Amino acid sequence: MTLRYAYYPGCVAQGACRELYQSTAALTQALGIELIELKKASCCGSGTFKEDSQLLEDTVNARNIALAEELQLPLLTHCSTCQGVIGHVDERLKACQKDDPAYMEQVNGLLQKEGCSPYKGSTEVKHLLWALVGDYGLEALAKKVTRQLSGLKCAAFYGCYLLRAQDQLPYDDPYNPQSMENVFRTVGATPVMYRGRTQCCGWPLSSYATEQSFRMAGGHIQEAIAAGADCMVTPCPLCHLNLDSRQPEVESVIGQKLGLPVLHLPQLVALALGISPEALGLQKHIVSTRPVLEKLERLAAV
Amino acid sequence: MVLMPLKLYPLCPFPVGGKFLFLLATISASVSRFTVMKLEFKIVRQTEEASPYIQAYHLDAEPGSTILDCLNQIKWEQDGTLAFRKNCRNTICGSCSMRINGRSALACKEKVGDEVERLQAIAASTPNSTNGTVPSITVAPMGNMPVIKDLVVDMQSFWDNLEAVQPYVSTEARRVPEREFLQTPEERERLDQMGNCILCGACYSECNAREVNPDFVGPHALAKAHRMVADSRDGRTNQRLEQYNKDMSGVWGCTRCYYCDSVCPMEVAPMEQISKIKQAILEKDTAPYSRAINHRRTLVNLVKEGGWIDERKFGLRVVGNNFRDLQGLASLGPLGLRMLVRGKFPLLFEPSEGKDEVRSLIESVKAIESKHL
Repeated sequence: MTLRYAYYPGCVAQGACRELYQSTAALTQALGIELIELKKASCCGSGTFKEDSQLLEDTVNARNIALAEELQLPLLTHCSTCQGVIGHVDERLKACQKDDPAYMEQVNGLLQKEGCSPYKGSTEVKHLLWALVGDYGLEALAKKVTRQLSGLKCAAFYGCYLLRAQDQLPYDDPYNPQSMENVFRTVGATPVMYRGRTQCCGWPLSSYATEQSFRMAGGHIQEAIAAGADCMVTPCPLCHLNLDSRQPEVESVIGQKLGLPVLHLPQLVALALGISPEALGLQKHIVSTRPVLEKLERLAAV
Repeated sequence: MVLMPLKLYPLCPFPVGGKFLFLLATISASVSRFTVMKLEFKIVRQTEEASPYIQAYHLDAEPGSTILDCLNQIKWEQDGTLAFRKNCRNTICGSCSMRINGRSALACKEKVGDEVERLQAIAASTPNSTNGTVPSITVAPMGNMPVIKDLVVDMQSFWDNLEAVQPYVSTEARRVPEREFLQTPEERERLDQMGNCILCGACYSECNAREVNPDFVGPHALAKAHRMVADSRDGRTNQRLEQYNKDMSGVWGCTRCYYCDSVCPMEVAPMEQISKIKQAILEKDTAPYSRAINHRRTLVNLVKEGGWIDERKFGLRVVGNNFRDLQGLASLGPLGLRMLVRGKFPLLFEPSEGKDEVRSLIESVKAIESKHL
């Protein structure tokens, strides 16, 4: 049976990380997963709507979820932050349906006033990582691998919202997650463990507490390098912005050259399916991904 | 006295030793549910200024035993030199916070059986994991505070930072009433969640912002700060909001890593409380300009404009403050250039097809919120 999802692209994959949009499309196509893009969806607020008001975060995201409900499909994210925000709103509202119907009525009243479908609580919010691990299955994924990434040492960087924003996680322990590492093993790569993999990348502070933010990112990159990583792999484009796009600035804050490539999750998996680096936008990163590709070629030639 | 086989007298109502036997039967039945487990405790030990090392202890414990029970057993029966804080044994005093299997928690709250189950679940999801026959529980001192000895950390900065938010209800603005300051049950209820804090330090220990920003007062202090802001008897709300809004010591120092909410043993949800202080600050149009506040306002405005965020405008408006902050603007230069060179710069922006709906929705929410002010 074909897996189908209501695809929520998020802002960053349509902006500063187009290569994520590109690689999610390439990966899902190669796996025969069908994505129906939610063209009418909007930004989840990346955690800042709630700082304005809880009602704002709940209402805007109830609308996003309701768009997927209309299609009777699970909502697919490929960003830890979108997942944590929308996934948690879904948890909250499902609880409100039982415990606080008045609030639910307020949210749905606002939606109906704008001609939007009401929130029903009839679907799920799933990150691409969870779709791969839980729905597609790692055994099935292993069968699609045409190019083992043997010898490539990958350091996962999960993103806070994927681990701790929701009350219930389907596959992972929030303090010692394994699903990224299991995907690495499935495509033949070697997971590298380091403390920073479950920590904050510093992105939420980057616009106004730049130095603190970059020190945070720098510490994690240093640890990953010390643990022997050839690259970091992240399921979150906001983490990617701080770890990759700002890495030259991170280097100057901590006073050390780093040069660690940071891949998006679907880029890594798609490489193992034999999809070309160009089709995955690997040339678009700020930190060159060439060392990763060269290492893979070297290893393949042996 | 010769005990008869218990099964003959499980509910013996007679006084001839009957009550005693019934009790015995009950105890033996419940004890049989507890299988004693063999455990390894790996404890990260340290003396001040020396490098930490791991010491392993082996012991037998029941699944219902707490981590604290086990530490006591180690200290009393195996190694009297092991140092850790403890007091109430009952999740009240907040003394025994430490890192248990990778996250800060109360040793008196976490049970051995649950920890072993958690470790087994993690191992089960890991192919070829070398899961030994004896479950191994790792215990380490809290983070973000220097170690005095073993699991005892110096909490001075934790207390100083609490003090810094002035965690006392201020009634200076009002005359002291004849009897007492009254609150309605609803007003009191608003303080319950923050009032549950037992100052154990678990949130502070895991706070990612504290690791890079020694000025940040921390989640415990800001949860308490919100307890003061929310208190109907406190007369200093405005000054407090001003103070908590200032520089990177207050609410804007939080990086929203969610660790505090996640580890808090009392469900105080410090990050939620930080959010509520931010809400109170953002509600005030008079809040002085800061990039942190501008970041929030711009984000909402951009979503109203395009449904999705136009990241080109986001940088210019937030960091460049609409061309008013030239230094900020200049700081974006190298980043923008690098992105252009790599073909990463978003030259185009496609608004969401639902942007009008979203704008109208946000405006309706704002209208409701402003009525509540």
